[in-house]
Amino acid sequence: MPRVPPPRPSTPGDTTSPPAPTKAWRWRLGAVGGLLLLGVAWGLWPAAREEEAPVVGAPRPEQEASTEREAARHGAGQEVSAESGDALAAAPRYDPTTCWSDLARFDEGVRVDTFREWAAPLLASRDPLVRMYLKERLTELIGGDAGRALEVLSWTKEAGPKEFKVFAMALKDSEAVHRPEVARGILDLGLDTALEPERRAGVLSALDTQRRLSAETLTRLTDFAKDPASGEAGWAAARTLARVMRNDHARAADAAPYLDGLLTIGQESLDEHVRYMALSTPMETAPVLDARAVGRYAQVLTTEGSPDGRGAAAHNLALSEDPRRVLETFERAFGPEQDVCVRWALFRFSARAAGRDALPVMARMALTDPRFQTTYQDFERIYASGVMDFERVWLSLPDQDPYGCLHRD
Amino acid sequence: MNRRHLPVWVSLWLSSSPCLAAGAPDASVSRAPEPRAQACSVEGLMDSIRRGLQSGSPAYQRYLRELLKESAVTLPEAALREAFERETAPVMVEHLAAALAARTDRGEGVETLRLVAKRALGDADPAVRAAATRALRRTSAEEHTGDMYQRLVRDASPEVRAEAATNLIEDNQYVYAGAHGPASDVAVAAAVASSDPAVTARILGNISTAPISAESAQRIHALVDSDDARVRAAAVTALGGVPAAQMERARQVLATRYRDETDVGVRSAILQGLARLGFSSAIPELRRLRGVDPRLTGEADAWIQALSTGLQEWSLLLREKQRVGQAH
Repeated sequence: MPRVPPPRPSTPGDTTSPPAPTKAWRWRLGAVGGLLLLGVAWGLWPAAREEEAPVVGAPRPEQEASTEREAARHGAGQEVSAESGDALAAAPRYDPTTCWSDLARFDEGVRVDTFREWAAPLLASRDPLVRMYLKERLTELIGGDAGRALEVLSWTKEAGPKEFKVFAMALKDSEAVHRPEVARGILDLGLDTALEPERRAGVLSALDTQRRLSAETLTRLTDFAKDPASGEAGWAAARTLARVMRNDHARAADAAPYLDGLLTIGQESLDEHVRYMALSTPMETAPVLDARAVGRYAQVLTTEGSPDGRGAAAHNLALSEDPRRVLETFERAFGPEQDVCVRWALFRFSARAAGRDALPVMARMALTDPRFQTTYQDFERIYASGVMDFERVWLSLPDQDPYGCLHRD
Repeated sequence: MNRRHLPVWVSLWLSSSPCLAAGAPDASVSRAPEPRAQACSVEGLMDSIRRGLQSGSPAYQRYLRELLKESAVTLPEAALREAFERETAPVMVEHLAAALAARTDRGEGVETLRLVAKRALGDADPAVRAAATRALRRTSAEEHTGDMYQRLVRDASPEVRAEAATNLIEDNQYVYAGAHGPASDVAVAAAVASSDPAVTARILGNISTAPISAESAQRIHALVDSDDARVRAAAVTALGGVPAAQMERARQVLATRYRDETDVGVRSAILQGLARLGFSSAIPELRRLRGVDPRLTGEADAWIQALSTGLQEWSLLLREKQRVGQAH
């Protein structure tokens, strides 16, 4: 069975938050990240973050900026000065930062119409801090003005890669992106076949901050995402759909129309990456599935060729209006399932679906596959202690990755 | 162009540019700026930040703050320390303090962070103490400063006390993900130590008590009898999240307390605490209590409805409860 190459692991944290202590990362990754990681290294979980957690999966503008910063922080770590007599002692642990002359004047005087020319030397640099500043400054300059937003959008048609990222991200974060004519312009450009797929993907990602998608836009994005001709841009379209679902659901909107689109992509796209994007992203929003969605994800469990896709379906199924039906589905799927990581997903998400009531089903799974005996005893012991919250059950496990599924290649 | 004829802000810029090389051409407002990459210095960065305070661009101010913090590990430590010791303007103290704390968080020794802690505890100016306290937010300060937080929450200045409470809450959530026992115990100890009921209530109501020690749980129990309703409400909220070994006692205390309690806010918090302690097994208890206070019958029903979903995570139950509340 062909395996989906694992998406790139996330860079922890976003690019605007302060550097956290080493220990902090340990806790964040170990305690929170581990909970919902699916078996691949890119959980999508906004808990414990007030900022938007970066949703990652492939190199995207914000991720690259973050990676650049990490590189800046640690890049010089192993370099040793040739002139130094005591080379190791003199080795710089961090690259020095860059200060820019004339930047205050830039900040004071720059406008949208002078931005590209004035920012050119800064955009050409490898300084991640100044690039982040440029992005944020451009967002400020666009403000709520649709005309300025459309002008920046027009730049993205032919901008070079470094400029492009700053422009698209600035647009995404601007207030004007919520003006209907701007959102429509972005959608039209993102779906424009005259542009190369990478550029269309980047343009579409400027829609990620939309508060909702109309039925028509949902249909257009869904059709585009599952179209083999869309390539990487289809992947981005699926991600946009998932992100706006999250935004809309956070304001108590019904996730069903979005889920329907994502399920269609997840079931019909011929590209494993696109299917996985569509199947895995709902776990971040964590909607409670209705009967229709349960039925469709249950189908994915038996028809999806990629183990990661089946694991994602199990993850989503854990939250539903009918936990009993889900438990039955998991138990039926466990036996025929050959991949231990998908079995692990069915096993642990049984607990997430029904808590202590899942123990009999999990016990039978452990009879089918004795590798799960020890883990079963762990769950049994933890539930007997009185813990009910699945997050806490999870944190109480002696090992959150007993089958080596977190970073498998 | 003669420098005397330049607008004031340009002259300022020229006289104290952080990176201005000797003999650089005069700037002009009408000409495009020509940014050039240069080495950073403490003095130069401080000048930029000072002038940046006048900037109308929050993005620029964030950039300068980040730049100083990112530079902290490569700038001379002595120069940073001296600038910090010399500085008296709260906003500048905060920038420098954040940089000194960042050095520690990057593994460059705890001394620089302790310097900030010393100032947070001992500066004569309450605004400086508050600024230094803010600079320790979401750092490893709790691990290196002993009983600092127990002292900060007793500071004479309400601003300092409030900033300290915010640090404890944000560290608990964002640095330690609510799962690190020592961090939650530090927060409980500070909440108990505070002389300010608002601070005690805010800390206890907003931290994770899932990993606390038995001793911390005992301290929270003692606050259930507080004279201040805000403290009682926060204490029962905190008891809703205690470790498994503490759950049964907490359940009994809350159920008994509900009937004796008169404050509607505290009673509402008790309902939530019971829901959290029992999940769907709390439904019978909630049914027994729903008629005790007619003002809260709807609230009890909303919890019963949310718990009936069988959702297995507290965060999801809270979300469900909120939705139930909106629907009514």
